[in-house]
Amino acid sequence: MSWLTPRIGAQLVDLGSAMLLLTCFAIVAQRRLSACVDLFALQSAFLAMTATLVAFLTGTRHIYIAAALTVVVKSVVIPHVLRRVIERLNVTRELVMNVNVPASLLICGALVMTAFIITQPIISFGHLLTRNSLAIALAIVLIGFFTMIARQKAVTQLIAFLVMENGLFLGATAATYGMPLIVELGVFFDVLIAALIAGIYTNRLQDAFDSVDTSRLSELKE
Amino acid sequence: MAIFLTVMLAVYAAGIVLPLTIPVRPTLQNLLANSLAGVAATLGIVLGATGVVAPDPLTLTWSSSIPLLAFAVRLDALASFFLLTISLVGLAAAIYAVGYLRHLPSRVSPAALGALFNAFLCAMTLVVIADNGFLFLIAWELMSLISYLLVVTDHEDPDVRYAGFLYLIMAHIGTAFIVVMFLLLFQQGNTFSFEAFRHPERVLPTSLQTVVFLAALIGFGTKAGIVPLHVWLPYAHPAAPSHISALMSGVMIKTAIYGILRVSFDFLGGQFPWWWGFLVLVIGAVSAVLGVMYALMEHDLKRLLAYHSVENIGIILLGLGAGMLFHAYGLEDLVALGLLASLYHTVNHALFKALLFLGAGALLSATRTRNMEEYGGLLRRMPWTGACFLVGAVSISALPPTNGFVSEWLVFQTLFQSGQVPSLLMKLMLPLAAAMLALTGALALVCFAKAFGISFLALPRSSHARHAEEVSWTMRIGMIILAATCVLLGLAPMVVVPLLDHVIQPMTGRSIAGQMLALGGWTLIPVDAEFSSLSSPVLAMLIAGSAMMALALTALAGGWREKRYARTWGCGLNLSPRMEYTATAFVQPIKRVFGTIYQPTLKLETELMHESQYFAKSRRFTVRIEPIFETYLYLPVAAIMPALADRLRVIQAGSLHVYLAYIFVTLVLLLLIAL
Repeated sequence: MSWLTPRIGAQLVDLGSAMLLLTCFAIVAQRRLSACVDLFALQSAFLAMTATLVAFLTGTRHIYIAAALTVVVKSVVIPHVLRRVIERLNVTRELVMNVNVPASLLICGALVMTAFIITQPIISFGHLLTRNSLAIALAIVLIGFFTMIARQKAVTQLIAFLVMENGLFLGATAATYGMPLIVELGVFFDVLIAALIAGIYTNRLQDAFDSVDTSRLSELKE
Repeated sequence: MAIFLTVMLAVYAAGIVLPLTIPVRPTLQNLLANSLAGVAATLGIVLGATGVVAPDPLTLTWSSSIPLLAFAVRLDALASFFLLTISLVGLAAAIYAVGYLRHLPSRVSPAALGALFNAFLCAMTLVVIADNGFLFLIAWELMSLISYLLVVTDHEDPDVRYAGFLYLIMAHIGTAFIVVMFLLLFQQGNTFSFEAFRHPERVLPTSLQTVVFLAALIGFGTKAGIVPLHVWLPYAHPAAPSHISALMSGVMIKTAIYGILRVSFDFLGGQFPWWWGFLVLVIGAVSAVLGVMYALMEHDLKRLLAYHSVENIGIILLGLGAGMLFHAYGLEDLVALGLLASLYHTVNHALFKALLFLGAGALLSATRTRNMEEYGGLLRRMPWTGACFLVGAVSISALPPTNGFVSEWLVFQTLFQSGQVPSLLMKLMLPLAAAMLALTGALALVCFAKAFGISFLALPRSSHARHAEEVSWTMRIGMIILAATCVLLGLAPMVVVPLLDHVIQPMTGRSIAGQMLALGGWTLIPVDAEFSSLSSPVLAMLIAGSAMMALALTALAGGWREKRYARTWGCGLNLSPRMEYTATAFVQPIKRVFGTIYQPTLKLETELMHESQYFAKSRRFTVRIEPIFETYLYLPVAAIMPALADRLRVIQAGSLHVYLAYIFVTLVLLLLIAL
């Protein structure tokens, strides 16, 4: 494929990263939980695409495996688990928010700018074709973190946590062409377990408080 | 030498492990633990004595896999001197403990106590021989923690728990400062090796050296019990079993003196401004006076002794501070004199304070109380303990012919050399310090006249005292060893001074033993024969001679042979212990004179009969001394802490989101700062 020069390749990786960031904003703006899960599945699919692209462009074989795992774990298994949780708990919408949607979007915009400012000096040193994605990866991590703070339902927080993980994965791919395979396998396993545990914890929360609002946990304070 | 050292440490290790492996045989556990400690201490004495006179220090190094930590030990003259002191007291305490432990309540396991005893001695030994900052800190912390465990031996008593808690807090505050000191020294060459501290690649700027010195003074001062960091001492020392109190008060606080000497004269190379020495001098004077003043008001024998440790640390620091001050003015001979006096007092205090604590332990085990007001007339029932205690009391009151007299006299001589100092201020301050020391000596004499008189003379004040019996032989031997060394060190300065000269020579570069000892060592001349001289053997002979003379005269007058027994004048009443002078009454005049410092409060509570106001049902009379530093320094600080914590609780909202937000904000800020 002679038309796929490194320059065009880098553009494509940037495009994939940008799509990831876009889904992030969509998640922040979305009130319906099932839609959030769908968006997360979509984001993971974009992540897998970007990773495949990087693997293809650089010839780093093990990223293919990581990409395949991303599809299986993050696009299929975890969303499935989350949908079951939502179904069982019968919560469909995020009603109360710590920060409302317009303000959240503005803050996320500011976070993206911050991420770009922070990574500016690092990017200019890099020689990788993925280097521009680093800023986006950091932005995704920050947005994920912010979403955990801004949303009250445990399900949304779990999604935000997974979004952070996606950001980290993108960051690893962007900065070093992926972590060693054994580390990535470990991370996937961790994420899966974390999602399962958080699912159980959400159920317990529902049982205890008749709600999955994590701010209710402050009642446990001494 | 290296073999001796290894064997000594191995015997201590065996002393820690073996007693614990013996199943329930308290007597055997006790005997084994203490005999191993005794063997190790004997080896320590040999090692210390040879180390003091050895021309070159013994160094041993085992590297370790932990970065910056090397098991480096160095036995130079200074370390050997302290090793000798620790081992000497350790040996006496080990022998004493064999008998003493039998009197302890059965719930205290002799195996655990013996193991801790060995570990405590071993940790103190490691502190003085460590040649690596890291190893030193480990040994130092072990020493603090093990002594804490020993302090809370009797942990069922809430007072003991409080004492232990206070001790633990103060010990850790002190260690924090020592850590700061080592970290600053670490910057000199990125290593914790003492060798690198001694010969730094790059010398710290003067301001940082000041911080190092002050950190050392506070850090080690907390352990030494200088005023106002002494608050833990009167609680912790009495709470421990007596042979442990003897070690804590006699030698553990001396490791702090070792630390101060090591840092100021070894690491900082003795290059310091005059005010460092002045500061030490002031701290010494204040500690000496306040220590003895609070001791006077105590009627708990072990607390009284603990306060005397504050006093004696003050005297040691007076010699040291004067030495440092002279150093700043380049009077090297006087520096050597000051250090010599201070080290002499260090070993003396270790001996007589350990002796007195062992004596107090003997009284405690015979009468089951530490309250002096319940003693009385014990000399007739416990003559050996009484004699040994008397030797200790004479020593600590700095009376000839004992060791305390010689060293305190030397400190005086050092302080009197103010004439040679060029600074006018110091010309005034040094004699003032000498005056404070004189006051201290006088008050100490009153205090021990009280302690000995009330405890041992007259009639028993309680049934405990009436039924007291002399303690077991091992306990007596432990005390006799120390009493004998107290007298020996007093009679033979000609042996001690050259030994101490070896110790201070590397620090000051001067040897003064030759010029100090005249007439074949029979006379001690600190500076100048015109100024002052002392011959303690002759003095002892004079005292003995005049006593003989008095006896002879009495005999001649016939009073010796003819004995008449008659009732003491008792105003027609039968003599009872209630007529005796009490300890409280004994010190009442002094309490009046120093009322400003003591701030005594008298309280008389009377509960009247219901029916009539003219008949009292009960009366309660309490006398209280205001502990100034606790009331005005520590309690306010302690009160501020909960208030601060209350304020800080606002940020602990209990909400997951808020906690996440803290982390998030911190993360973003750090990222932006790192930019």
